[in-house]
Amino acid sequence: MLAPKPMSRMLIVASRDQAVPIIQELYRGNAFHIEEYVEQGREGYEGFKIGTPLAGATEASAELIKVRAIENVFAIRGEDIDAKEKLSQPRIRSQIEQDLPGIEKEVEELAGARSKLDTRVKEFEQKITELAPFLDFPADLSLLRGFRHFSVLAGYTAADVSLNFPHEVQVIKGKERSFVIAVVPEKNKTEAERAFQDAQFQAVTIPEENGTAQARTVYYTEQIVSLRKEIGAINDKLAKIKESHTGFLVACEEAFRADIEQAEAPLRFATTSKVFVAEGWVPAGRIAEISAALDRVTGGKVFVSEQPVDTTHDNVPVEYNNPEFAKPAQLLMDVYSRPTYTEVDPTLVLAIMFPIFFGVIVGDVGYGLLMLAMCIGLWKFMKGDEVHQFLKILRNASIMSIIFGLLFSEFLGFELPWAPVIYSRHLNIGVTEAGGHGAAIAELLIVSVWVGILYVTLGRLLGMVNHARQDHGQHRIKAVLANLGWIMVMWGILFGIWSMFPIPLMPDLTKMPIVAVGLSVGIVLAIICIVLGLIFIARDAVLEVIEIPTIISHVLSYTRLTAVGLSSVAIAMVVNYMSIGMFINPGMKDLSIVGIVMIIVGVLIFLLGHAFNLALGLLDGGLHSIRLHYVEFFTKFYKGGGRKYNPFGMKRKFTED
Amino acid sequence: MADATMTIEMVQASQVGMKAIGAGLAVGLTGVGTGVAEMGIGAAAVGAIAENKDFFGLGLLFTVIPETIVIFGLVIALLLLF
Repeated sequence: MLAPKPMSRMLIVASRDQAVPIIQELYRGNAFHIEEYVEQGREGYEGFKIGTPLAGATEASAELIKVRAIENVFAIRGEDIDAKEKLSQPRIRSQIEQDLPGIEKEVEELAGARSKLDTRVKEFEQKITELAPFLDFPADLSLLRGFRHFSVLAGYTAADVSLNFPHEVQVIKGKERSFVIAVVPEKNKTEAERAFQDAQFQAVTIPEENGTAQARTVYYTEQIVSLRKEIGAINDKLAKIKESHTGFLVACEEAFRADIEQAEAPLRFATTSKVFVAEGWVPAGRIAEISAALDRVTGGKVFVSEQPVDTTHDNVPVEYNNPEFAKPAQLLMDVYSRPTYTEVDPTLVLAIMFPIFFGVIVGDVGYGLLMLAMCIGLWKFMKGDEVHQFLKILRNASIMSIIFGLLFSEFLGFELPWAPVIYSRHLNIGVTEAGGHGAAIAELLIVSVWVGILYVTLGRLLGMVNHARQDHGQHRIKAVLANLGWIMVMWGILFGIWSMFPIPLMPDLTKMPIVAVGLSVGIVLAIICIVLGLIFIARDAVLEVIEIPTIISHVLSYTRLTAVGLSSVAIAMVVNYMSIGMFINPGMKDLSIVGIVMIIVGVLIFLLGHAFNLALGLLDGGLHSIRLHYVEFFTKFYKGGGRKYNPFGMKRKFTED
Repeated sequence: MADATMTIEMVQASQVGMKAIGAGLAVGLTGVGTGVAEMGIGAAAVGAIAENKDFFGLGLLFTVIPETIVIFGLVIALLLLF
């Protein structure tokens, strides 16, 4: 908790003939994060080279490409499919040998035939487009070619053309431009072309067809229909294959992918002609188990040792170490940046506080229930691990919204039959008579400021921990003290304010005894804190002092918990007032046609308004809650930039080991 | 403002109106300020995300920093109105 999973550095040395069982065992274990070997003359690695792939890598790659091609034809994606059963290794291997070539051949043939038919359909469609201008030309198209002494010009013109030599013209008038077919003597061709050019002539090729354009178009249309029928038949056949073999195909893909990953693993090892060395990371505590397994598969012909971990120089891969309920929040952490190995991992804080912030902002039973329903609905439709993690975050957030809705006594902006348990957020919107209790805005704002004060203090405290862990020597003390300085300046400012103004829900220091020159104890305390704090900050980095105002802006930024929430309440109440107060109630009084129309309009306003506010609530609640963590909290202590722990192996979905 | 023909009620009503105008100005102007500030940041962030998707989290962070301005406006408006 609050730290990534501890890792151990592991070194495996064995002779090259043991490579296959070792790689298979490591792959099965799915725990060894391979540290890739780079040839750059590292000390102790003289004479080592990058390894060569195991036998069978090329074949497996070729097969994988074929399987993926088939999957493309069927538009299948492994991640969208729920595994019905897991195929065992011997079974999948025998099926790959027996069935796969047949399926491959059949699909290839069918897909080939389909694409040929598709090409012909396109050809015919092209011909129909070419024939289109000639549809009104009544004669056989073959009459327009094959002359020795005449030239035929066809095309669109914008204006009438007059030719001063013997010719024959057929003009088909169009809306903006006319289609012209002109037969001119060969010797006048250039002249004719120039005359047409002046009339913005756009030439059209004369189709190589026999028969009238009408008849040919009908013929081609019929052809297309029959081709489409053939394509449909092929599609049916493909659909049948898809139905019966989808599970097998995704299993094949998985099996081949595993084969390739294993076969290519030596490319990441350091090897000589006789031995290979694999370096990598495993979760601490699994070393014994893994080395025992390796011993077993090689018959003891392997050397495994645990190397010391040097956290400043080694870039240790980071795996989260969180209780189950906090796992979805890891997604939000990765969006920002994965923590480094030595850093405090704030996932737990985020996992607990994000839904609470969301709940405080939305704080409405109705919206919470709608969001929860949305979550459950999307769970079935959307596939994929990340999406489900995201939906879990949303689920927690909507449950918190319901809880805070009960406390605030809110349902779609209406009041529930009890008074708010905590401060009221009911605004006096649409209330004509005086005496509504109204919202406790000042109190809500002060509570949110308290949240800000505690959050910023916690952030700086974690900053002290991080610097104490990561820095060395002189800088370490300075950096830790600088963080303490920030806390002191903030609390100093607070003491100052409390000594000068009495504020509800905050300590009142105005009545403290006066020490000297009219300064009370609180003020003296404030001055000491601020001055000491400034000195601590300046000792680490003088320029940081100009950032002092961010203390105030960051703390006040937490007032958005109240402000954004109240704006959402206001919208809900306005929608209710408009739909019920202005349309439905007057409509109910007078049930004529006008009254019924008014009721319908009122219901529409109600539905649209609340849908709009729900969308806004999701966006506001989510974005502002996450931002309060990212901007105001993380910037105090969190750097991120850790490397993801990516173990060698696969989470098998369709096959078994 | 208050000339001889105005009654106490009228003055009170106009005070409520002034408050509402002030609240509107607070939210509206801070909204414009936030928009102007986010304009440049947002454009740059989208550019950076197009180059490298890992930048999304940091890009979002930078883009929402000026959000605080409009929140201050909203807080002032709420304090004025209620």
